[in-house]
Amino acid sequence: MTAKKILVVDDEVAILKMFKKAFRNKGYIVWSAESAEEALEVLKQDSIHVMFLDLNLPGMNGVELCRQLREKRPMDIIYAVTGYASLFELAECRGAGFDDYFQKPVELKELLKAAQDAFEKIGRWKKR
Amino acid sequence: MRILIAEDDFTSRRILKAVLAKWGYDVVSARDGHEAWEKLQSVDAPKLAVLDWMMPKMDGIEVCYRLRQMEKTIPIYIILLTARDSKKDIIKGLEAGADDYIAKPFDNNELRARINVGRRIVELQASLVEKEKFQGVIEMAGAVCHELNQPMQVISGLSELLLDSLDDNHIKDDIKEIKMQVKRLGEITKKLSGVTKYKTKDYLTSKIIDLDKAAE
Repeated sequence: MTAKKILVVDDEVAILKMFKKAFRNKGYIVWSAESAEEALEVLKQDSIHVMFLDLNLPGMNGVELCRQLREKRPMDIIYAVTGYASLFELAECRGAGFDDYFQKPVELKELLKAAQDAFEKIGRWKKR
Repeated sequence: MRILIAEDDFTSRRILKAVLAKWGYDVVSARDGHEAWEKLQSVDAPKLAVLDWMMPKMDGIEVCYRLRQMEKTIPIYIILLTARDSKKDIIKGLEAGADDYIAKPFDNNELRARINVGRRIVELQASLVEKEKFQGVIEMAGAVCHELNQPMQVISGLSELLLDSLDDNHIKDDIKEIKMQVKRLGEITKKLSGVTKYKTKDYLTSKIIDLDKAAE
């Protein structure tokens, strides 16, 4: 069975550390990045198809990153994890191509379920 | 809407009060400039005022002038009412701070129309102030939410990880409590980001935003 890889992007190191621990505990391989630019570099190094993006990043923001990724990666599952949610943001996220949207502080078990669902979906799409 | 009238002549004052009451205004009356000045200084003074120019103790011009020296969030709309109607007098009245000017004897309909202008302006100013306050609230809410949600995510997540890895139930109970309190904090920031109206409630001697009503 191929290892399941996840990318987590957040400019807050403490959050990255905590998410990494949570996902690794459940057997996932976790890559992390502190900015959208760093995330794009990381994605060149390995084949990752499930991502959790913070929206408020230094430099390019998470919404813009998602838009860019969507152009070339229609099958990837990309989740938004945001510190400030407004209706405007949700609409923008849907438009940018996010698969789902979580508001901080989010329970780890919700993110773990989202990761599980993501891999289940990808597995199903590959079989068709 | 409340309106203050200042007129020293007893009969004129009674007539003016009756006419304004008939038009639906809640009338506060003053017998001279000094009384008008006192009544217009309070925080919940009427926002509209019809002042006679010639009055004992303090004339209408002096009241105008003093009111303009005072800083008020929404300035009082002042109509000067007087028999003095030369161009020079009109200019003097307006420069002292009156918003409008009606010569005696006045036509009732004209007075009513001019007071309506004042009412429109006062209502417009009130709505602008409300909009600005609201804008300020939204901007603060955004900043606060975002800043707080980050550390809350860390505390909440680490609590969850601890709960998964520990066996001691006493410790777990304490950690569950930590996690629950963070969830409460999260609900507060969610309410903050859901603020759509400017709604306040009393807090000691001032006001604070009423989060429940503001986020409805």
